[in-house]
Amino acid sequence: MEKRLIKKEALAGIVGELAGRMRVYAPMQVEDQVLFRVLAKGEKPLLDFANTRNAPKNFLFPRTEALMKFTRTEKGMVRKDPAGEEIQSGETLLFGVRPCDARSFALLDMLFDQDIYRDPYYIERRAKTTVVVLGCVRVPYTTCFCTSVDGAPLASDGADLFLTDLGDAYLAEFLTPKGEALLSAFGGAPAGEAEVKRKEALATQAAAEIRSRVPAHEVKPILDTRFEDPFWNTLHQKCLACGTCTYLCPTCHCFDIGDEVKGDEGVRIRNWDSCMFPLFTKETSGHNPRPSQKERWRQRVMHKFRYYVDNFQAIACVGCGRCVMACPVNLDIRKIVADIAKL
Amino acid sequence: MQNPYIPIPVEVVKIVTEVDTKDIKTFRFAFLNKEDEAAFGYQPGQFAELSIFGKGESPIGIASSPTQPGYLEFTVQRAGVVTSALHEMEVGAVMGVRGPLGNSWPIDYLAGKNIVIVGGGFAFTTLRSLINYMIDEKNRSRFGKITVIYGARTPGLLIYKDELAAWAKRDDLALHVTVDKGDTDWKGREGFVPTVCKEVAPSSDNAVTVICGPPIMIRFTLPVFFELGFSKENIITSLEMRMKCGIGKCGRCNVGEKYVCKDGPVFSLAELDKLTKEY
Repeated sequence: MEKRLIKKEALAGIVGELAGRMRVYAPMQVEDQVLFRVLAKGEKPLLDFANTRNAPKNFLFPRTEALMKFTRTEKGMVRKDPAGEEIQSGETLLFGVRPCDARSFALLDMLFDQDIYRDPYYIERRAKTTVVVLGCVRVPYTTCFCTSVDGAPLASDGADLFLTDLGDAYLAEFLTPKGEALLSAFGGAPAGEAEVKRKEALATQAAAEIRSRVPAHEVKPILDTRFEDPFWNTLHQKCLACGTCTYLCPTCHCFDIGDEVKGDEGVRIRNWDSCMFPLFTKETSGHNPRPSQKERWRQRVMHKFRYYVDNFQAIACVGCGRCVMACPVNLDIRKIVADIAKL
Repeated sequence: MQNPYIPIPVEVVKIVTEVDTKDIKTFRFAFLNKEDEAAFGYQPGQFAELSIFGKGESPIGIASSPTQPGYLEFTVQRAGVVTSALHEMEVGAVMGVRGPLGNSWPIDYLAGKNIVIVGGGFAFTTLRSLINYMIDEKNRSRFGKITVIYGARTPGLLIYKDELAAWAKRDDLALHVTVDKGDTDWKGREGFVPTVCKEVAPSSDNAVTVICGPPIMIRFTLPVFFELGFSKENIITSLEMRMKCGIGKCGRCNVGEKYVCKDGPVFSLAELDKLTKEY
């Protein structure tokens, strides 16, 4: 693995230059929020930020995505000539992704890139996207709990190029062929054992700074036997079913498919959906297997901490804390998991 | 890479109105491209997304049998947006089919055993597929005694009437058709499906029952089969859930960690016992 030292003052300029060669999304200050935005050539990304308000999953799995187009004929609507209907994605660089969010890509890969039923839209975007991660040498939020869900402030899961702020320079680790393709653009001086040791020391220090400890692994055997439990009767009661938690979650991946028609042309699109919504499972007959917010909350917890573990041997939570920060009624997944551990 | 979201184009070649209320029709589709037919290898019990561009998709069990080449059949009740649009269609219309999806009736497990089919109302479609598969001359010797118990609320609500008449004439299949309440023309059996199952009392010896119907029918029929000595491994059914993708990604049809679209829809009672009760 190639390792380089990048001068601190050079990094933002390097990324700005790259924006002239490919599509680069990077954290930018947008009014009072930090959001991923496309960089214009020469524009400098934000380097000093906690984390972005939105998870970057929408670059691999967009909020709204056209699956196919169709057109009216005498015999009915038929699919349009698929030529020119390529999945919309070019070479993309995601710069400034935090380790928790990069890990979410590894978790989403498990679902969208299974042995059978591979999802071509996701896979195409993923293949063309290079992920440059900025490690968290300072822990962004008190709500962070990545170390409880198999992550760490300087873990490189899901990263192609991993950057660590050593204080006077960035240690750049080119982890994959996609990362190595950026070697010439990033330049820098060769880094050695001394810099890796400094990174390791920072990693230990940053991990120790994470105060939120969530017994995420301990709840699996409890959830296995507590599908029916009085615990679920009260958990959801203040939930407004707004779905904010699922929209901000880097690993939530549920979607709806619908058709839109304008005149003689139409498009089949998929949109993010949410298990928090009453219509999510409601059948045409009127029957709903998850009739109240109680069942929906149970599904959300079970999916992340039990079912995903059953199917993919991984917890579907990266500990980013977005759902904790954004919930309008202060439902806190850390407390919920801790409460389950006490059942 | 194969794109599992793209429907296969088909043409409506035949429409049969099955019931006197006219809200259940069987649609026969022929593949527009011959090579698609060869690629669409399916087993009884599987389903497909019926895809009408501009309206959407609806997951429906395949009612034809793979022993009937050249076409696919689906029996559909008019209910929502997609099925209503389908019911408006005429022969010659072009639409899409996405599949085959899901697992199937466990043909290899059923082979060599006596098979008891129990169907209620319009939930008889993939059972019909299984019956036609088993009585096909190439397959009949692989299965033991076949008993079919099928019921509907009224004679007018029985589906596949011509086929029922043809099956009644066969000596390698014991058919028991019943209605909850007959009319003046009805000369057949009257009575609820669980009662008829009790009267017919199929032996559980080397036997499997495959059962599909409204929840109320299943609830009262299961005790009859337990009484007859059928184990939970040998009672097999099929679940329905709201679905979108059909391939285990969109996240809404799971029962516990299993996706009904991908890991089901067919489960034995023994398998269902291990899952959460959320369907």
